[in-house]
Amino acid sequence: MKKKRNLKYRIGMILTGITVLFVLLGFVWTPCDPETMDKGAKLAGVSLSHLMGCDQFGRDIFSRVLKGSGTTLLVALGTVSFGTFFGVLIGAFTGYFGGIVDEIFMRVNDVLFAFPSILLGLMFISLLGSGKYNVIIALGIAFIPSFARIVRSEFIRCKNMDYVQSARLAGARDLRIIFLHILPNTTTVLVSSIMIGFNNAVLAEAGMSYLGIGVQPPDASLGRMLSEAQTYLFSSPGYAIFPGLALILMVLGFSLLSEGLKED
Amino acid sequence: MKYFAKKLIGLFATLLAVSFLVFLAFAVIPGDPATAMLGTQATPERIEALREEMGLNEPLLVRYAAWVADFVRGDFGISYSYRIPVTNMIVDKLPVTLTLMALSFLLIVFVSIPLGITCARYRGGVLDHCIVAANQVVMAIPAFFSGILITLVFGLLLHLFTPGGYVSYQKDWGRFLGYMLFPSIAVALPKIAMTTKLLRASVLSETRLDYVRTAYSRGNGTRAVLYRHVLKNALIPVVTFLGMALADMVAGSIIVEQVFNIPGLGRILLTSISNRDYPVVQAIIVCIAFLVLTINFLVDLVYQMVDPRITIE
Repeated sequence: MKKKRNLKYRIGMILTGITVLFVLLGFVWTPCDPETMDKGAKLAGVSLSHLMGCDQFGRDIFSRVLKGSGTTLLVALGTVSFGTFFGVLIGAFTGYFGGIVDEIFMRVNDVLFAFPSILLGLMFISLLGSGKYNVIIALGIAFIPSFARIVRSEFIRCKNMDYVQSARLAGARDLRIIFLHILPNTTTVLVSSIMIGFNNAVLAEAGMSYLGIGVQPPDASLGRMLSEAQTYLFSSPGYAIFPGLALILMVLGFSLLSEGLKED
Repeated sequence: MKYFAKKLIGLFATLLAVSFLVFLAFAVIPGDPATAMLGTQATPERIEALREEMGLNEPLLVRYAAWVADFVRGDFGISYSYRIPVTNMIVDKLPVTLTLMALSFLLIVFVSIPLGITCARYRGGVLDHCIVAANQVVMAIPAFFSGILITLVFGLLLHLFTPGGYVSYQKDWGRFLGYMLFPSIAVALPKIAMTTKLLRASVLSETRLDYVRTAYSRGNGTRAVLYRHVLKNALIPVVTFLGMALADMVAGSIIVEQVFNIPGLGRILLTSISNRDYPVVQAIIVCIAFLVLTINFLVDLVYQMVDPRITIE
């Protein structure tokens, strides 16, 4: 039976749908080439040929917003996948087996938890150097502790439940119990933390690119566009507002979606 | 008191662990600090001499111990790119970032408490719906974008402040605070939205409890019940949240400092990252971690004072 979803979920779904559609569109087609510079159209205003105007090099902002949203989304997906993968592995094994290794890992985790994730990201970026893939790794590492902590507490809660005992009696090995029996039962908790993590990743990436140490040109990035737009804020406010709106649309849609899911 | 001592020991252990992890991270990176300082043109003999002088040939743990000893004495090493002590570089920047955080914190407390209570008081009404919806949107705005919008609206259109016209606190405290007010709004906005949301939910769940009915039956008005009785209890989860939000606010400040062109800790951190000036990066990261951990420690203490029911082991 299909039940009627709540308002938050529906609005979130629509906003996320719009973002995803635009991002997919940006991968296959953009109204202008995002890299082509047009000397005559420097900082041009909103018009039919340039829906969001042009930047200081005469590049079409709409095309660049499409591309930039794609980069942001990809980096966020990469970051969350990286963080989830290692977080789940560490959380599952430490939670399931416990013991001294668990103790050490959790101490380290507590320490990492004290850092704001963007600061950890900054530290790793300063070690690795900037660029799209390094941002994914740096932020990904920064996200591991929160995932590991959640998965670990779920495993501790589940590991002595009846179904795990029965599986053990039936002769299932530890690995099988971890991945086939307990892990599927952590999905609800995991999914909601993945969604929160995704939003944090979008914001962190945009922040780092804004600071100039995240995604590097020629990759278009919303954060970088915002930092460049700041110089021309008075003469062409649209240059800053449109990429910002794209960012808000992405984050708002996803946060509504995740809250809507939780309320159901 | 025993609790306090236990917490304090825990704090020091974590601080030590943090500093070791950061030290380790910067020790294992490829690239030799001596080469970084002298440039690749330098002769191997000179590099070797400098390595010896900087103590780079010692084992890792010895170097760590020396570093910690220096750190405790307030000596954070010498910057690679500026050749001046790191301590001198950050000591007069620290008040800037701290002011930004303190102002944002005050804003959060003084805006979100009345907002959250108003929402809960008129729940289901038009005002409540408007605030809840606005909260949802504000939470999605990254601090640096609200910073840009604030610059545009308050700075360029309304001329309430001069964008980029930062005045050092050493020159004029009043104008310094006047300028800092705007970035602190940008840092505070998303947290105000979250705190309001949390407080609203927390007040609503409190108002169902018996003591609230008792308070009403003793002839108190709604306002008095909410502010004198409910608020105290409803604030407990909010205090926890604010403690955690502080770590985020440090990160937010670093970015917002860039938007408003404020020469604080964030500025040096960024320049040092692009210059690969590791002693500075290392010192700032450890300082920020210390700040966050110490604040969390204080929050824990405040927490226990606010609510005597809570005793942790």
